Amino acid sequence: MTAAAPKVLDNVLPWRHDLVGCLWTSAATILRWHDLPVLETLGAAWGFRHLPGGLRREEYYYPTPPGTSLYEALAPYHPIRSRWHDPVDAAQGWAQVRAKIDDGVPVVVAADNFYLPFRPAYQDVHTNHMVTVYGYDESAGTVRVLDTVPPRFDGDIRLDELAAARDSRNPILHDRDMFFTDVPIANRWLEITVDADAFPAFDRATIVRTIRANLAGFATEAGSVDGFAGLAGQRAYLADVAGRLDEGDDIRDELFLVAGAALANTALHADWLALAATTIDEPRLAVLGRSVERIAHHWTAIRILAALTTTGEADGDRLRRRFGALSDDQGRVLAELAETIADLDR
Amino acid sequence: MSMTALRHSTAITVDLGEYFDNRGITPKSELDQGGFNIWSNTFPSEDLPEPGGTVLLGEVPFRFPAPNATGHDNFRCARQHIALPAGRYDWLYLLATAERRSEDVVSLHHVDGSVDPEWLRVSDFWAETPAHFGEQVEVRCHSLHYPRHVQGNMAPVIWRTRVPVPREIGLASVRMPDNPAIHVFALTLVAPVAGAAA
Repeated sequence: MTAAAPKVLDNVLPWRHDLVGCLWTSAATILRWHDLPVLETLGAAWGFRHLPGGLRREEYYYPTPPGTSLYEALAPYHPIRSRWHDPVDAAQGWAQVRAKIDDGVPVVVAADNFYLPFRPAYQDVHTNHMVTVYGYDESAGTVRVLDTVPPRFDGDIRLDELAAARDSRNPILHDRDMFFTDVPIANRWLEITVDADAFPAFDRATIVRTIRANLAGFATEAGSVDGFAGLAGQRAYLADVAGRLDEGDDIRDELFLVAGAALANTALHADWLALAATTIDEPRLAVLGRSVERIAHHWTAIRILAALTTTGEADGDRLRRRFGALSDDQGRVLAELAETIADLDR
Repeated sequence: MSMTALRHSTAITVDLGEYFDNRGITPKSELDQGGFNIWSNTFPSEDLPEPGGTVLLGEVPFRFPAPNATGHDNFRCARQHIALPAGRYDWLYLLATAERRSEDVVSLHHVDGSVDPEWLRVSDFWAETPAHFGEQVEVRCHSLHYPRHVQGNMAPVIWRTRVPVPREIGLASVRMPDNPAIHVFALTLVAPVAGAAA
């Protein structure tokens, strides 16, 4: 392979939200690169889904039903899809990413922070992270990387550093290698397909249709889909996980992953409702957005409670108290959303 | 407890040492001896006020925490019931921060037995994360401690936040929420403005 001319793509921009992780920040960068709206897209869907067999030890974990791509799961009401590529080795992994950049497309890749010199976890903690690669200079041996998760980095690292991060076995070596370890990074990268022309307008019709779809999802009846879905499924899952903790199971990493995904999803939808309120001049949606934000703050507590289940600080009863408060508050918010949407339809 | 005359009111700092159950502050020489968050990061003591001293943050004095007998300097909220010097107060001011922003209900117990729920809202301690709940005053560090190194480009924050006391009756105690994402380092009670109706 001959060294290609240096290349850096334009319009690769950061985006950050305090309750989301690298999956959403990199998706936002891709949307911005397409000149598409971020919050209107990533904040539209709100729901609960847990597929016990589908849990993955990744910072970018999000529940994806069979046949649904990661980006479809993130933004099911928008024409955006993704496909994981699984190169056979690091050389092929880089060749594929380089080819996409040569085509003018930024690439989202999985990477172990242990090998990324700009991450605080560098040479310390293994994890399964996600960054955007959008340029390279093979004669200098560098690649251009954007990572919006603090400390934000937008610059060049050595190609061999990125290669090591992408090819990492991501092992558990000490007690801070938690949650996102023990799964090889495997040089994976995401091919993302966006039909920008088919994106819906963010108007009254879209807003009402979106909220109705979310309410229908939360009303999913037990047993009608695989795994746990909707508010009843959320209650059932949380009761199940607390029960397993009672029985001595180690549920720390599982609940931490589930809570992290639910937290990000809920927090973005809270902001989406606030944006909808101003867009269609409907203050009741702003109030509901704030109520949904409160639901996100329940998930903040649950995420930390999950981590404390192995220290003796959180037992099943403590989890159940918080789970009950979450689900009761959420039931009230969903009822108010349904009432408001009925009024908006009149 | 110490009392400070503010420009318009009186502030009383509360010693929270008996409630501390977490070590969130370390010197460079003890990087691996603390564990503020679930990743065992800590705030660098070199960037913070003197332990046990009084620090003025936006006119409000706080007793900046000194390690208690077990070496802890803050607590995760876990339904602690904190007795207060009985008196009329308008605000509880707290030095607090959160492992991702959160909010929860504290219970204000008054001397006549009445109890009011009020919201405690605390923004994220993480670097590059603005105040979400309108906090105006903060203690910001220049680096973040990791068990094996100091990260110079991470600037964690302890926020000054406040909880209102609407009921104009003496306050006796406060019960914290059960929310381990929220950490409290200091508490100061601010009395009504001098000359206000009793």
